[in-house]
Amino acid sequence: MRLLLIEDDPAIQGFLERALSESGYQVDTASTAEAGELSALENVHDAFIVDLGLPDMDGLDLIVNFRARGLSAPVLILSARRSVDDRVKGLEQGGDDYLTKPFAVAELLARLRNLLRRPPAPLNDPVRLQAADLQLDLVRHEARRGDQLLQLTPQEFSLLEYLCRNAGRVVTRTMILDHVWGMRIDPATNVVDVHIYRLRSKVDHNSSLPLIHTIRGVGYVLKNA
Amino acid sequence: MSIWTTLAFAIGTALASFIVYSFVAKTIQGRSDTWLSGEAATLARVSKDTPQDRLYNRVVREVAELATEELPDDRSASGQKLNSVFFLETHPNSNDAPLWVGPGPDDAFLKAIQRTNPVPGVPQSITVQGWRTAYRVVTVSDGGRTIYLGLYSRGDEVLLRTLTRRFLILWGSTVLMGFLISYLSAYRTLLRVQRIADTVAHFGSKDLGERLPQPVNSDEISRLAKTFNHMLDRLQTSVNELRSVTDAVAHDLKSPVTSIRGNLESLLSGASGEAWRDSVGEAVEGLDRLLGLLDTTLDVAEAQAGALRLDRSAIDVSVVVRQMLDLYQPSMDEHHHELIVDLQEQVFVDADWGLLHRSLSNLIENEIAHLPSGCQIAVRLRSREGSAVLVIEDNGPGFPPDIKTRVFERFVRGKQSRGHGLGLAFVDAVVRAHGGAASVADRPGGGAVITLTLPASVLPRRTTLTSNPAR
Repeated sequence: MRLLLIEDDPAIQGFLERALSESGYQVDTASTAEAGELSALENVHDAFIVDLGLPDMDGLDLIVNFRARGLSAPVLILSARRSVDDRVKGLEQGGDDYLTKPFAVAELLARLRNLLRRPPAPLNDPVRLQAADLQLDLVRHEARRGDQLLQLTPQEFSLLEYLCRNAGRVVTRTMILDHVWGMRIDPATNVVDVHIYRLRSKVDHNSSLPLIHTIRGVGYVLKNA
Repeated sequence: MSIWTTLAFAIGTALASFIVYSFVAKTIQGRSDTWLSGEAATLARVSKDTPQDRLYNRVVREVAELATEELPDDRSASGQKLNSVFFLETHPNSNDAPLWVGPGPDDAFLKAIQRTNPVPGVPQSITVQGWRTAYRVVTVSDGGRTIYLGLYSRGDEVLLRTLTRRFLILWGSTVLMGFLISYLSAYRTLLRVQRIADTVAHFGSKDLGERLPQPVNSDEISRLAKTFNHMLDRLQTSVNELRSVTDAVAHDLKSPVTSIRGNLESLLSGASGEAWRDSVGEAVEGLDRLLGLLDTTLDVAEAQAGALRLDRSAIDVSVVVRQMLDLYQPSMDEHHHELIVDLQEQVFVDADWGLLHRSLSNLIENEIAHLPSGCQIAVRLRSREGSAVLVIEDNGPGFPPDIKTRVFERFVRGKQSRGHGLGLAFVDAVVRAHGGAASVADRPGGGAVITLTLPASVLPRRTTLTSNPAR
């Protein structure tokens, strides 16, 4: 997967390039809209990451240019503005996505994966999820650890399902709130952690092999050891 | 400034004088014309009635001379003849010499009349060489003969000239007086404006307490002074508020920055393994809190400035509140709070989905953060008189009395509070932006009551009852 990152702040460009490379993407970078446009025409990219505040052009205009030139790869917009522009919302409806700064790298990677996801094949939407000896039956809403049936509330099941679908990948608290509860809030309390503790006490309680891990400063990950 | 006023005034009065002058001149001329027309008609009758014999010329001449004597106001104070009249009768038969009664030879008059070729019946002004102003001439044409009667009224001329002179003097003195008056009043006004400018210039350079003297009368300048004093009051208030906000932000930023710095510094001095992870994680969490604080500060500022962009849709508050309580139920359990929920179903408001969520989350977190363990929290929702009324009540210690009236202000927090004092300020600003109101009260028997009132929905509802448009 080859990405084009157009961001003028060298510090942000630097850590994003590093994080994306570590996640296995091939990354081209550009600091201006002009350089970005050249690079986009030179190589074929699977996705663009575009900062809105470029020195020589508004990022949205650059995206419009891309579309006019027939570049149809999805765009992930980075914006320093907190209140999101209506035009950005419009783009979001067109299949693209945006992130407001500051953002967690885990969230950027998750959104990028989402944008790059191929149209799901029929088998791709599973009725069963499995991670180590944890099994989720999405039809009957049952979760088993080994052969033991876990007594989960519907909320806990949704949370476990989200962690399972992202098994091996770190998810942030913001992502959990957004995907499990459908809320874009920024809690000052440890409300998500409380849910995770409860879930963990049920999932990892009797096992010598904990599955739900806390990544300090980032979020949580469900993984084998 | 007063130059322009004077100029406009001068032009205006000049215009008015000119109109009066031309009216007077016209009246005078009208008087002459009436006399002329009457005399000309008489002369024409005489000329017609008199037989065309040898005596004709004499008779007509005498009548004409008589007519010239009849002029009103003919003598000046010195007895000098002021007016001059000529009478001219021409015949179609050019062989006959024209009959002429008038001052001096007839050549100049004949030439002037031939040049102008006056229309019979209409008095006209004809300039004759050697005379300063024009003659008024009436022409009567009858059976081939044409009679011209002309009047040069020196009296009228003198009168008009005097009139012009008087008007000029009057105009000049009026303009001068006007200039003086406007200059003096402008000077007085400017002096007072200057005082205002001095005070405003002084304001802020030393202290914010400087005010204009309380004005005694109620003209515009006094109102201006009052307005300025009001403005200075508000300015002083907001500057003081800004100072306290800046202090609060600085204070709130310092502790996380200090802890992050400490953590990272201890890393450099050689922590290893799990300790390293912990320190970095703690630093990241501290930074997140910092960014959260910045974001919330900006959000509250934006909301209070009325700059929030509302993306409204019809939302069932009961659904949103229930979702929110579901999310926070485990946290409340942790603190052994008892939750009493009494929600009327289907209470719709037109609200921004995200802002409503954040406000409710702020409210609940405010309860969790400030209540001692084991309290009761009651959440009630009612639809009442075109409004949705959400009441959150607890039996905790209530708001500290010193901040009770200011809980919705930024950075106002109790001494025991670990928050930033932004949560309720944000709630208040959002509710206001939606046209609603937030209030706090003491609960009888101890505890606090927070009431949010939002106008009921007028937007069309979607058929599904989901509250989240994104899903």
